[in-house]
Amino acid sequence: MKKTGILYDERFLLHKTGEGHPEIPERLSVIMRGIEEAGLLSKLVAVPVSEARMKWIEKVHSPKYIHRFAEACMLDLGELGDPDNQICPQTYDTALLAVGGILNTIDMLMDGKIENAFCAVRPPGHHAEMMEAYGFCFFNNVAIAARYLQYRWNVSRIGIIDFDVHHGNGTQHIFEQDADVFYYSIHEHPSFAYPGTGREFEKGTGPGLGATLNSTVLPGQGDEEYMHKITRDLLPAFDLFKPEIILVSAGFDAHAADDMSDINLSTQGFSWIMETICEMAERYAGGRLISILEGGYALDVLPELLKNHVKILLGLKEEQTELERKSHVH
Amino acid sequence: MFIDKSMTTDVISAGPEMSIAEAREIMAKNGIRHLPVVSEDKTLLGIVTDRDIRTAMPSAVLGQAGGAENRLADIKVKEIMTTRPVTVSPCQTLEDALLMMEMHKVGAFPVVDQVGKLQGIISIRDLLRAFVNVLGLRDPGALVGIVVEDKPGGMKKIVDAISELGVSFGSILVVRVWEEGKRAVFPYLLTTNIARVKKQLREKGFTLLDPMEWCLDEVAKT
Repeated sequence: MKKTGILYDERFLLHKTGEGHPEIPERLSVIMRGIEEAGLLSKLVAVPVSEARMKWIEKVHSPKYIHRFAEACMLDLGELGDPDNQICPQTYDTALLAVGGILNTIDMLMDGKIENAFCAVRPPGHHAEMMEAYGFCFFNNVAIAARYLQYRWNVSRIGIIDFDVHHGNGTQHIFEQDADVFYYSIHEHPSFAYPGTGREFEKGTGPGLGATLNSTVLPGQGDEEYMHKITRDLLPAFDLFKPEIILVSAGFDAHAADDMSDINLSTQGFSWIMETICEMAERYAGGRLISILEGGYALDVLPELLKNHVKILLGLKEEQTELERKSHVH
Repeated sequence: MFIDKSMTTDVISAGPEMSIAEAREIMAKNGIRHLPVVSEDKTLLGIVTDRDIRTAMPSAVLGQAGGAENRLADIKVKEIMTTRPVTVSPCQTLEDALLMMEMHKVGAFPVVDQVGKLQGIISIRDLLRAFVNVLGLRDPGALVGIVVEDKPGGMKKIVDAISELGVSFGSILVVRVWEEGKRAVFPYLLTTNIARVKKQLREKGFTLLDPMEWCLDEVAKT
């Protein structure tokens, strides 16, 4: 069994988004309950939470934007830039704690205290741009993590895999010119889903050309298409790039039960994806992998999805499922 | 939306005596396919396209054999240009240009003033840029497809239902003919919370279109 870290703090529940908003504190509560009821919590190493230092957030976001975000919460303005981005007076502090916890996770992993980790954080991050909040996201957690690995730990090749059903526009834009951070995303085709970016011809710019890769999935598709595209696109790309660590933007809204998209990934489909990612981490990165929660809003399936997710990180093999048998045939 | 707001004013042009070899080089260097030909006082004389030049070249094989390049240097732009090309005026509109491009099957029009002097060029690229902007594709958002009866007031109900949720519109596309008496409306909404919008629309009795059936072309079913 692996030494797997878990980042969670009840203060992550303090970011309240109001009625009719899907990104609610209950997401984390049910996820943690699912992990606990499966008897996995005692097997995980708790990561301490602390506020992130501003210098690391400023590696991604402009001071002006950070200030605007802090001020909007302080003045309880209700939203940041757009009604999607509902805030409350605690949102800024919650976002700071989430980032701080992720940076602590990195320190523990790089110090060898844990081998991989799951960060059950709110708010999510991958839509947040350098100077703007988008799609429920304020600080780009995964992007700040990658910058921290570059500047604090001198990691030279970082692979980011984003399987949230929406394209991580923020993460892509932050690293599109960076040849040392490979951003891969698989998501619903942008002509049918938010945010409308992440088309297959977007491959990075300037020195980063070739270090961005997008796989798009049409409405109504599911496991088979994900297996096909990940095998066709991601596996050979990472075999060339050979990341020294893998960061995962783990969104669970591509599930058939999640009405945020028209994609019908099954519970087993998510397990296949995560197992495939973990195999890559073993192959290239000595197993080093940090998974950070993004979207996923179907409260009834999140507990099982995250139980499986954590189980795979721990290296506890489920009995081989029908889906896995099929995938070996391909 | 007048053409002078979207056209390229810094036009690269040729004189009538320029060799087609030089014209070809200018087009290749600047990545353009249309070269207006003007007199010294900027009066439009004609237009040369990359296709005109290719046609004028003896053949690709001869071009490699040498000698052909010399002949190419002898042929002047005025010998192969299209004289009296279709032009537009700066105070025509983008819709005019769009419809004219469809009608004449050309990719660009020289823009000339009342006395025939070249003011700019409007190409399909300028139109594309404008329409990418009109569609709101640079803003993060998502499209929803709704089918409605083709009668007044339908659009208002859709806009009201979505506005109630505090969601902003990036654009609204309307497909005029979806099926007999119906049209399809595609609001591009600046929100990731699309599930809530769909729920609201369904509750208000709208029929949502299966994304795999979406079509922006005329899809009259007879």
